[in-house]
Amino acid sequence: MVDKRFLKNLDYTLLIAVFLIICFSLVIISSATLVNSPMDFRQQQEIWNKDAPGLNGEAASEPIGTSFLKYTKLFFSTFVKKQIFFVILSLIIMAFILSVPYEDFRRHRKTIYILNILLLLVVLSPLGHSAKGATRWINLGPFLLQPSEFAKIFIIVTFADFLTRREGKLNTFKDLIPCFIHVGVPMLLILKQPDLGTSLVFIGIMFAMLYVAGANPKLVAGLFVGGWAFAIGWVWAHFKFGLWIPLKEYQLDRLLVFIDPWKQWHGAGYHVVQSQIAIGSGGLEGKGIYNGSQNQLNFLPEQHTDFIFSVVGEEMGFIGVSALLLLFFILLYRGIRIASQARDLNGALLSTGVVAMFAFHILINVGMVSGIMPVTGVPLPLFSYGGSSMMTNMIAIGVLLNVYMRRQKILF
Amino acid sequence: MERKIIEKKTRVLLYLIIFIFTVLISRLAYMQLLETERFETLAKQNHMRLNPIIAPRGEIYDRKGVKIVGNKPVYTVSLVYLGLKDTDRVVNRVASILGMDPKEIMKKLEEQQLRMYQPVRLATDVPLETITVLEEQRLDLPGVVIDVEPVRSYPFKSMLSHVLGYVQEIKQEQLKRNQDKGYRLGDMYGQDGLENAFEPYLRGQDGARQVEVDAQARPVRDLGIKEPVPGNNLVLTIDAELQKTAEASLERQVLEMRKQGYEARGGATVMMDVRTGAIRAMASYPTYEPSIWIKGLSQKQWEDLQKSGALPNRVLQLYPPASTFKMILAIAGVDTGKVDPSWSIADPGHYLFGNRAFNDWKPGGHGRVDMRKAISESCDTYFWYLGHRLLGVDLIGKYARKFGFGERTGIEIPGEPAGIVPTPEYKYKRNKAYLDAIYGPKFKAIEEKYKPLLASATDPAEREKLEKAKQRELRAVQNQYDQYKWDLDWQVYDTLNMSIGQGYNLYTPLQLVNYIAAIANNGTRWKPYLVEKIVSPDGKVIKEFKPQKIGQVGVKPEALQVAREGMRMVTTVGTAAGIFSGFPVEVAGKTGTGEVFGHDNHALFVAFAPYDKPEVAVATVIDYGGHGGSAAGPVARDLFAAYFGVQNVPQRTAYSPE
Repeated sequence: MVDKRFLKNLDYTLLIAVFLIICFSLVIISSATLVNSPMDFRQQQEIWNKDAPGLNGEAASEPIGTSFLKYTKLFFSTFVKKQIFFVILSLIIMAFILSVPYEDFRRHRKTIYILNILLLLVVLSPLGHSAKGATRWINLGPFLLQPSEFAKIFIIVTFADFLTRREGKLNTFKDLIPCFIHVGVPMLLILKQPDLGTSLVFIGIMFAMLYVAGANPKLVAGLFVGGWAFAIGWVWAHFKFGLWIPLKEYQLDRLLVFIDPWKQWHGAGYHVVQSQIAIGSGGLEGKGIYNGSQNQLNFLPEQHTDFIFSVVGEEMGFIGVSALLLLFFILLYRGIRIASQARDLNGALLSTGVVAMFAFHILINVGMVSGIMPVTGVPLPLFSYGGSSMMTNMIAIGVLLNVYMRRQKILF
Repeated sequence: MERKIIEKKTRVLLYLIIFIFTVLISRLAYMQLLETERFETLAKQNHMRLNPIIAPRGEIYDRKGVKIVGNKPVYTVSLVYLGLKDTDRVVNRVASILGMDPKEIMKKLEEQQLRMYQPVRLATDVPLETITVLEEQRLDLPGVVIDVEPVRSYPFKSMLSHVLGYVQEIKQEQLKRNQDKGYRLGDMYGQDGLENAFEPYLRGQDGARQVEVDAQARPVRDLGIKEPVPGNNLVLTIDAELQKTAEASLERQVLEMRKQGYEARGGATVMMDVRTGAIRAMASYPTYEPSIWIKGLSQKQWEDLQKSGALPNRVLQLYPPASTFKMILAIAGVDTGKVDPSWSIADPGHYLFGNRAFNDWKPGGHGRVDMRKAISESCDTYFWYLGHRLLGVDLIGKYARKFGFGERTGIEIPGEPAGIVPTPEYKYKRNKAYLDAIYGPKFKAIEEKYKPLLASATDPAEREKLEKAKQRELRAVQNQYDQYKWDLDWQVYDTLNMSIGQGYNLYTPLQLVNYIAAIANNGTRWKPYLVEKIVSPDGKVIKEFKPQKIGQVGVKPEALQVAREGMRMVTTVGTAAGIFSGFPVEVAGKTGTGEVFGHDNHALFVAFAPYDKPEVAVATVIDYGGHGGSAAGPVARDLFAAYFGVQNVPQRTAYSPE
């Protein structure tokens, strides 16, 4: 099945960008999960009471990790090993995705859509696994499966088919209603978990795909902008007049905090503030891997998952974040190119959905950690620690490559 | 669909993505390139903690290098901010181990609120057994910190305590006043005496230990240390040996007088070098150990201390000078030329004024009395005559002021009063205030009583009746008032009282010794001082205090000569002859017995020695101690003996008549 022609037609620029992002992520995950000798109170007391090294004229203890050996030992933390395992697993799944011509996805559209809804329903059933005030996982023994991650790629596949079928019949609002229902059902299930961040990504994917599918651009733009205005108005009305809103207390807190995080420094604003301190204090060159005080001393929350970008900012500085964003941009640029070169509308829509997914994830995540978006808790694609996210993203990359490989009609 | 349309649409998406990335990268550039410094500071504040290392205060030495105040290490227990979760439990636990009230600890924590990273000191000078208990329970007592800190140590225990003062945690208002000097809550601050007066020199520069902490404020590692710099040392003019003698002698005399049945509540003595103003000894009894302040006093301990009378430095308290004042009149008489020293009176034992007789302390009188004999035997009649007939209140006051009475000497330690040189204005003011305090409320009470009655009276006849009754009552009180009113004015007996150092005269023993010194050194007034120099910990002299001349008394030398001669006779043939008989150094002195209404007399003795070439002067007071010579004289004698190295002092407790 693996044809030499296929290999020749892989988008290597895209693959190299993905490879570099993942390598980069492993280093940062290692730094973010380095355990700084947890101290019991006895040790703590000793530090308080013991004479400092400087008292005897010795230099203060060497900063963490000056020797290379120590680094290599430190590097392969449990989290890094697990993540490498996820990457390999994801590559296998991706290879499988490549082997199936993307046109064949359409045949399984119903199965995929139903599977998607079922998985999301299981999460909301008593089988769902909760953590940190949200129920987003299904416990599979050694792993926690996060269906909302896979839901994105599932919806891209089914919605691409859905839109292809309605090509040229997407001009009025009435025409768009079935589309909204198609995306809205899984989206509402995700919002119920609650997972506002992923829901927002859904909206992004939907509008991007609608636009490319030929829906009335004015209508799409109008709905997008109007929707935002409506949402903001609703939140405003909630705070002003106590209007009911389908958001949890902590989500509202985050929205409030977004307006002025420094006001609630020690409370709800803590994450945002610490994240900004981490990034800002990194400066141009950063403090060096394993040397960021915000990261290493755990001031930064969720530093290997949602706030991993802050670790890059702190330890590798502006140079580091620019390099990472450049890699992401290459990825997105190649994705757009694939969309524009796709053999058919279905391929273009699949690529568009994937690009929109990546773009929204990056915008929401980086915007959140740098304080220009509210905290909604989405991972940075291909970078944050986590198996479901990695698999979803690699499947998405697989879909892109699949469309790219089969771009020329003459091949088939 | 046409490929071109797709291409167009995807290009729009690309522009959108470029826009998003531009926004993100701009935001990151702003934070990381423009605002770096601000965020760096915030990051540092997150994970760096400075914990002060207390610097030892400067030490205090006597003039010969004997250490009077030093420092010793003690255990202190502090509490680091724990967040809200653990505080209650830990505070209760620590309180029970330290035997403190948990509320007290919570209060301290609240005061600390703005600087939560600083440990709050809970207890100082904690005994080792308690420390051991805390060590054993360390795991259950997160945030409890045991430190070793330098605190004041007093090798001579209570010696010189009134001069030294004490150190205690800085008070809120002191903190406010010294805001710019880097004091923090819990810092030690000199509260009285030299500790207070030389606080800026004695205080050291605290060092600090920089600690890195994690998000839970648990220390992760030490980042280094800034060594504390000890404060500067004081070298005093005090001689520890003389001081010891002074205190022992004072105590002995007070207890002796108590044994004899006098109240004898306490006493004061001070020895000064008449050539420089350097204080060689300054003692006040009863006394206390300054180390009691280290742990802090409970309310009860504080009240007991106040009751014991040990707190005030009696050398700076006000006493009637009594007969020790008489040299002022003698000097004024000679200096103004109103009287010749050889002029004499025949003393019948009383002084007649109008139809009143004022009795001399010696029934039957002193016979023929000239000025020298008048001093020697402390003849009241002579000085009444001199004061009333020849000088008058203004001249006496003028000469008293020449010798520094009514004016602060300017000694370094705080709390010195100026004393009172009586004047008619002073008397008027003082007594008026006294009378008004008594009669003012009485007048007011009558007015208040009639106010509602008059208001409710409707019948004009009834009103008139009430008005009359009110006036009658007011007049009755007014008559009482007027009975005393004449005593607002200066009366002859006020002059008479003033002439023998009684009445409104009130001076400190320090002023007395300074006055005697000026007589002894032929009229120079020196500023009394306690600190000779300030020396840095490595021995460099930072500041040296030279004798400071306030001025000349400005009287004829003969006048001072007569006073000295009279004072010499006091210890040879006069009122203190018994005390000093057989004493190998020629001492000149003056006894004083200050009458206090409703109490035993204050016993005073002032002296200088040697008579020919004076070196030191002494003033001693025994509160309610009886007769000046017998109660206070021996203290001066012991001090002179110690100063001049006299062995085998004849320990006479001879009775002195005055």
